[in-house]
Amino acid sequence: MDINIETVQGNTSVTILHPHGRIDGSNYQVLIDQGNRLYQAGTRHLVIDLADVSFLSSAGLVALHKLVLIMSGQKVEEQQDGWHALGAIEHDAEAGPQGFVKLLNPQPKVANTLQMAGMDAFFETFTDTAAAVASF
Amino acid sequence: MVTFNPDSLQIDAELADLETIRQYIERRAALFQLDRSTTYDIQLAVTELVTNSLVHGYPQSHGWIEVQMERQSEEIFVWVRDRAPYFDPTQRPAPDLSIPLHKRFPGGMGIYLTRQIVLKMAHRSLPEGGNETTLVFPG
Repeated sequence: MDINIETVQGNTSVTILHPHGRIDGSNYQVLIDQGNRLYQAGTRHLVIDLADVSFLSSAGLVALHKLVLIMSGQKVEEQQDGWHALGAIEHDAEAGPQGFVKLLNPQPKVANTLQMAGMDAFFETFTDTAAAVASF
Repeated sequence: MVTFNPDSLQIDAELADLETIRQYIERRAALFQLDRSTTYDIQLAVTELVTNSLVHGYPQSHGWIEVQMERQSEEIFVWVRDRAPYFDPTQRPAPDLSIPLHKRFPGGMGIYLTRQIVLKMAHRSLPEGGNETTLVFPG
């Protein structure tokens, strides 16, 4: 999986990740590591462009979750509990999607996987880059 | 080592081989003239089961995996076999999707996705040791 990165200025500075290829248990950590590096460099708002992600397994779902944790300022050592660590974010399903990571243009089967996992309610999803950036 | 025969893929696998396994499914799906959506679903379900075997069943996430995919009548059967300790994915409780996402535990999400995709899923212990999980998809 290759990841291209761009930073754009909207209401605030937003970093757009463009991963390419398939995300599964063999490479999902690459996405998490990239998120950690970006956070260390000052990124706080992330758009993940899924247009070129042709396959997403549950490991990819974990990576997306971890990116939320990272962008919300969770310490790395606090992330080991998976979904539990998200409790530190004052969020629940009724509160709507979190505001740290937005998704852009998932392919239909990837969008279906997000929906099956119940994660579509957790991520705002856009089909237009400008709208995604302006949402922060 | 990867062994190909007309029916199955047998591989001394690690996570980096998930793509090889998906390619085997791609070839079989082409043979059976399956559409892209069905092929993707099979690849996703098998990816989840094999990942589970490798990560939880084998030390160092590395071990023998066999995947066999056949058409029988109007259904596609896929068998995933390993030599890992007993594990029956059909007995895993489904996650409660009414629970807020951040309060759920991640384990089992892959199997949950698999259950959503397949028509049927069954498990048996292999006589020589290991597990065989049978997945049935619409063909």
